[in-house]
Amino acid sequence: MYPENENYIEVSPADFPRKCAEYSRRHFLRMIFAADERELDGHFRVYAVFSPMGEDRFDILTMKLGEDNLSYESITPLVPAAHWYEREMRDMFGIIPEGHPDGRPLCMHGMYGGVYPLRRDVSAADIKKAVDLSREDGYSFMRVKGEGVYEIPVGPVHAGIIEPGHFRFSAVGETIYHLDPRLFFTHKGTEKLFESRGFMDGVELSERISGVSSFSHSSAYCMAVERMAGMEISPRAKAVRTLVIEMERLYNHIGDIGNMCAGTGFALGYAKGALLKESLMALNDRLTGSRYLRGINVTGGVTRDVFDAADDIISTLDGVKTGFKHFMEFLLDSVSHIERLEGTGLLSREIALKMGATGPAARASGISDDIRRAHPHLSYGSLVFEAHTYQKGDVYSRMMVRREEVECSFSIIDSLIECRHEGELRIPAGRFPAGGSALGYTEGPRGSIFYWIKAAGDGSPLRVKVRSASFCNWPLISYAIHGNIVPDFPLVNKSFNLSYSGCDL
Amino acid sequence: MLRQIILNLFGKKPAIGMDAIRAMVGDVAGEPGAGGPARLDAVFKRSIRIRQVDAGSCNACEWECTALGNPIYDVSRFGIDFVASPRHADVILVTGPVSLGMAQALKKTYLAMPEPKIVIACGDCARDGGVYRGAYGVLDGAASVVPVDGYIPGCPPSPAAIMKCIMDILESAAK
Ligand code: SF4
Repeated sequence: MYPENENYIEVSPADFPRKCAEYSRRHFLRMIFAADERELDGHFRVYAVFSPMGEDRFDILTMKLGEDNLSYESITPLVPAAHWYEREMRDMFGIIPEGHPDGRPLCMHGMYGGVYPLRRDVSAADIKKAVDLSREDGYSFMRVKGEGVYEIPVGPVHAGIIEPGHFRFSAVGETIYHLDPRLFFTHKGTEKLFESRGFMDGVELSERISGVSSFSHSSAYCMAVERMAGMEISPRAKAVRTLVIEMERLYNHIGDIGNMCAGTGFALGYAKGALLKESLMALNDRLTGSRYLRGINVTGGVTRDVFDAADDIISTLDGVKTGFKHFMEFLLDSVSHIERLEGTGLLSREIALKMGATGPAARASGISDDIRRAHPHLSYGSLVFEAHTYQKGDVYSRMMVRREEVECSFSIIDSLIECRHEGELRIPAGRFPAGGSALGYTEGPRGSIFYWIKAAGDGSPLRVKVRSASFCNWPLISYAIHGNIVPDFPLVNKSFNLSYSGCDL
Repeated sequence: MLRQIILNLFGKKPAIGMDAIRAMVGDVAGEPGAGGPARLDAVFKRSIRIRQVDAGSCNACEWECTALGNPIYDVSRFGIDFVASPRHADVILVTGPVSLGMAQALKKTYLAMPEPKIVIACGDCARDGGVYRGAYGVLDGAASVVPVDGYIPGCPPSPAAIMKCIMDILESAAK
């Protein structure tokens, strides 16, 4: 009934934290989430998804919680990476992690008045009724006390053209002692919105969770739907998805390396990066009809065969390859720029592991984890490539990891174009089994993306859980910025390239 | 290095951006690009300040606004700038369906602007909620919070479309 690499393990609530701690020693924690399954068996459920290092399998610990007792002993003291997930479950379902070190709300701002939006018996209309926009938020920021400590509040509206969020810096002189981010200003109720659409109609929404990860998100979503319905898409559709995921990585990584120049005030470097990115965006548009690679993924496959435009891909990427090579040489020669990156925004391997970092941010701190290799999907199983790591965990390492990955994406695209891929572009929809569920996943430009979906008794969505890379990586920024100077914050932030919308949902 | 600088200064530069300009101004009198920069200058009078406000977008709309500053579009050559404060703005450009968390901030930004205030809703989300319409956490468009003078359709609208629509909206606002 479950896809074959998903291994569900029932655990009692009393044992849950200990079991999670045991698994986290030799597994990567992928996500923790809850679902309101009362309509199926009268219970809420909590799931913790782990993947064993070096094996293509998911060990999913799950516990049942009765409506009358929605609390359990918090996992966070044993597994720090659980901290945001537990706060999220508390806000969205009212499931209480007893003994969690942080009692503050995470996703729900004060105006919501304490409704639990993801409970199935709470409708969108109920939530709207509970909302009072003038209600005080009452969020208490973490305080640093001592002589000379002062606070700098920033946001939610920032100076540049970027997404909204609030940052509270506690600084001494120029040095940041602590950063307390307050996010979820762009919380829209996306997961609930998925429930009001059919599984087949969710693709459009998954594409709009985070603008520059549109295609990775829709690929992971489609994969979950296809796995649940037992649909095996054709090798051709798989190759198209693989190629387009790499196109998305390319424009993100190259754009990010350019954006880091904006963080050091290096206008020429920024302009060069923006030019390269723009030519990739124009290629995206020609290939898929969308600069953000939207509208090509559908459940059951894809709408276009991008290999028809192989000549355009090859010639455009030839130009970008040369341009990128010169761009990197130019940056690495620019001492004033590189000097700002080295040693800045350090994230140690230990913290990255403990807090569950993902993507280039994890690999720049020496963690060799890449979903494309850990759980080969689409065409990745037949491709040969490395997970590139750097050890130091500074801004420079995050730039260099991206550079290696750009080269890697070029070669993946080349080898995909060399082969012929057979099969239909799109296969017909399967049936959604009542109570069926499945994971969907991929490695997006910012790191791993996970979806978990479950069908209700009538085959409609009971739960669509979205776990974007940024949800894992946002908490890291407080560690990375500790001890740095305030003017370096934009640079460190850009080196992580975090999505607000993808995190806030 | 020095040779490169001299080459850059005196070498023949590729005419980047002409296509982009044509796309921004659209067809004038049937001839692509006729009076291109001239129309941009006529409408903007070489000075327009835009404050962009993200009210819960997916971020693709912002990236298209950011792209307007890249060397292809380079709109600052026509006197168009994105500014850091609403106090310096002629126009606020709203993106996103207006999440509940951003409603207050959007209102405050609007109030902080000097008269005359022009508000443009950029993207399908800002028009009517777009794909997020009906979600519990959104107000289904910018007009629910601030008076809107014009809309830019698209999800996201391309950089050229953003510029062209802003021009059209300003032209009709001036009439
Ligand atoms: S209109 Fe489209 S691109 Fe713009 S914010 Fe909304 S979903 Fe994103």
